[in-house]
Amino acid sequence: MRRSWLSMSAVYTPMLGVPVLLYLYMIFNLLHFGTAADAVLYLAMAGLAVFSVVSFIDVFVDRHRPPHFLNLQEDSRTREHHADIDTTVDENVRIVEVKIKRFNPQSKKLEENSYKVRVDRFHSVLDTILDIKRKQDPTIAMRYSCRMGICGSCGMVVNGKPVLACETNVFKNMEEGSITVAPMQGHPLLKDLVTDFDDFFSRHASIAPNIHRKDEVEKYEAKKEYIQTKEELSKFLPFSYCIMCGLCVDACPVVNINPMFIGPQALSQVQRYHADSRDQLGVKRLDMVDKLTHVWDCEFAGACSEACPKGVDPALSIQLLKTEIVKRNFGRE
Amino acid sequence: MEVLDYDAVILGSGLGGLTTAIHASLKGKKKIRIAVVTKLHAMRSHSVSAEGGISGVLYPDATNDTVELHAYDTVKGSDFLADQDAVEILANSAADEIRFYDHIGVSWNRTDDGRIQQRPFGGMTIPRTAFAADKTGFFMMRALYDEVVGLGNVDIFHEHFATSILMDGGKFEGLTAINLANRQFKLFRAKACVIATGGCSRVYGFTTTAHSSTGDGIALAYRAGLPLKDMEFVQFHPTALVPSGILITEAARGEGGYLRNNRGERFMEKYAKSKMELAPRDIVSRAIVTEIREGRGYTHKESGMAYVHLDLTHLDARLLDERLPMIRELSIKSINVDPHDEPLPIRPAAHFTMGGIHVNTAGQIMAEDEGKPAAGMWAVGECGCVSVHGSNRLGSNSLSQCSVWGRLAGNAIPDYIASAGSGSDGAATVSRAEKEEARINALLESSGNVNPYELQGSLQKTMDDLVYVYRKTDELLKARQAVMELKKQYGGIYVTDKGNEFNSNLRDALEIGNLIDLAGVIVEGAIQRKESRGAHAMVEYPKRDDENYLKHTIARRKGDEMVLSYIPVTITKWKPVERVY
Repeated sequence: MRRSWLSMSAVYTPMLGVPVLLYLYMIFNLLHFGTAADAVLYLAMAGLAVFSVVSFIDVFVDRHRPPHFLNLQEDSRTREHHADIDTTVDENVRIVEVKIKRFNPQSKKLEENSYKVRVDRFHSVLDTILDIKRKQDPTIAMRYSCRMGICGSCGMVVNGKPVLACETNVFKNMEEGSITVAPMQGHPLLKDLVTDFDDFFSRHASIAPNIHRKDEVEKYEAKKEYIQTKEELSKFLPFSYCIMCGLCVDACPVVNINPMFIGPQALSQVQRYHADSRDQLGVKRLDMVDKLTHVWDCEFAGACSEACPKGVDPALSIQLLKTEIVKRNFGRE
Repeated sequence: MEVLDYDAVILGSGLGGLTTAIHASLKGKKKIRIAVVTKLHAMRSHSVSAEGGISGVLYPDATNDTVELHAYDTVKGSDFLADQDAVEILANSAADEIRFYDHIGVSWNRTDDGRIQQRPFGGMTIPRTAFAADKTGFFMMRALYDEVVGLGNVDIFHEHFATSILMDGGKFEGLTAINLANRQFKLFRAKACVIATGGCSRVYGFTTTAHSSTGDGIALAYRAGLPLKDMEFVQFHPTALVPSGILITEAARGEGGYLRNNRGERFMEKYAKSKMELAPRDIVSRAIVTEIREGRGYTHKESGMAYVHLDLTHLDARLLDERLPMIRELSIKSINVDPHDEPLPIRPAAHFTMGGIHVNTAGQIMAEDEGKPAAGMWAVGECGCVSVHGSNRLGSNSLSQCSVWGRLAGNAIPDYIASAGSGSDGAATVSRAEKEEARINALLESSGNVNPYELQGSLQKTMDDLVYVYRKTDELLKARQAVMELKKQYGGIYVTDKGNEFNSNLRDALEIGNLIDLAGVIVEGAIQRKESRGAHAMVEYPKRDDENYLKHTIARRKGDEMVLSYIPVTITKWKPVERVY
């Protein structure tokens, strides 16, 4: 469902160091060069090196570009909708062209529809699409609820950037009188701007996302509050802002080409509970993520933290987990 | 149609629904099978938008607070319409709920010695509102969702829109729902049902609530013949941001914010001398509307809305960031105003449904026969009217209410399931569900020509204009006429989207039907209550009339007619007195 296998190459980026070491080894061995086996090994190394460089560019250089490896076709035609709208404008009200790239579940293609709509300076992208839905095209599907940036429903891609539609002002984000809205493509597509979150939720559920206490009876009876200092609170507080909107997963270049990687949202929540002084699962949480498919697949591209609308900084949380694991494995703690 | 069998089905995934699921699961030793059916993703319910905090007497010794005082504040806030036995349950149990949330991971703001911090709130004599910045509801929701995920015996059905409650002889039989992902129709058969779908403030256009607060569960119960209580009491939150209606928490005033009119005066001095900005919400909302009507407000250029100022500019920036970070962020993002530098434009907006499904103090839904609960049915949270809030809720009591009655219902369910015989005719339920499926399919194929969104627009305009903070009989009569007209037009709606995948057009059409039904109940109750009490302020009847109206309105559907009746208010300790702040 996700990406073409070609770009699995990016998975090998962390291995860049391996061919380099092998090259050094081979240079030492050049003196003995001459057997066929050596030549084969040399060619294999060269291939791996090219692969790694390409994937490095994929992950670190091109991450702002819409992913070219996306296994999704786009219909080149644009369907223009015409509606009778009041066309008077002033400094507070303008006519904006909204281009919505809608996923068609039948054709499995993205189809661009364009609408003209009156927008005032307070309109968010969400307000604007709802206005279109109510007056011009009731078939548009999108997810929304609180419209104040806390329920996490309306993650989508506006002018190429993963954002919450309800927090994105149209006037401030339009380019030459138009704005382009597309679904997140880091999750399976369902319809129009709506994506499927089942896989995302099961990843979150897989990391034991709750306070673990040795004494469950005491936990649930809750006769007395746990004492927690302001300093202890500050250790996990930023990571507890996660609204599960899925934008970090959409932005992450690694999880999008390597479905085995659990992704930034789930890992940030491991850190959220691990850093909470009330949690007693302790190092078991570190064991849980000390795996190639968990923290060690993170390449620290930082796209997740850049995309997060609530300032969670999943990239930091993953590096903190890595640091703790390394410290523990080397017996420092 | 897919038929699913569970021990208990919980409709709604907000604070009420998820606390019920947790306590039912724990009490049943994780052995009973529970389904949570929600029209959203479970962690996105409107409870996430609760900002200010949750009330409870946590440290009576240190603060000289008592549960009696909490209970009395609540009763007085309710303008004596609350049932006092219910209020005592709330005050007695609320602190335990705050500690429960501490144990499942809510990031409470803390005092210097690591205890849970509390702040002042409207109508509360002592600071007793525990809070996690101004995202309290959000943190509670995340903690609850994360707990539910780990339980193992609770299946969550995300994005399933409920269309009907099936009952037989006063007993719960099943619940039908549409899976939004693929429009598959499902019947959930269970012994117990808990409705926890929240309020219906979206009958108004200018509201603090989420687009999803459409009172679906209340409407379904009403259509199933269950009684609704006190629906005319709609809380208007005094400080909603103009023009979006986004909530600016009461905590902004709890932390020291001022309300000012266009002369810069702190006008609350005239309306509630002792409490000032921290008077209960009905009083503050009326004060704001009065200031505006008497020409001391501002007018918003783009929307034409009148407003006054909420002034936080004298508060320390650090305090704002530690205790009110979200409203600062929201103001900057939505209207480009930093409350630290400039006052915020605010006006009252529909916020909370004090009324709801008629339940007893155990949270059980009352059946047709007075005094007898329907078998196997509970309603918790905003959709259930116990009544602890009477005619006006105090800020931060709603989160306690959701949690307290979520626990009561959850704890009762395993015993009920064990004692309830099977007895029901499963095949008959299936055939009734098939009829319901046919009704939905007919709606999709209907040849009408009315755009449901136009009906929604005129409904919201009607309610905003005619059933607002102050009400007049002739305006209410006009509103009744308009709602009846909308109901007629609803028969001819057209659903444009015929697809199976995420058909939100169909969902919206059903929601709008729910809203129109509930608006009818709100307006009718308001017309019949010829007094001013709490949030229901009648211009012709400016006084509270205990002799004739110290009673709860009960609205019930018989055939196609709405029938109103009244039941007495339970008074235990506190005789009604004049309400002065």
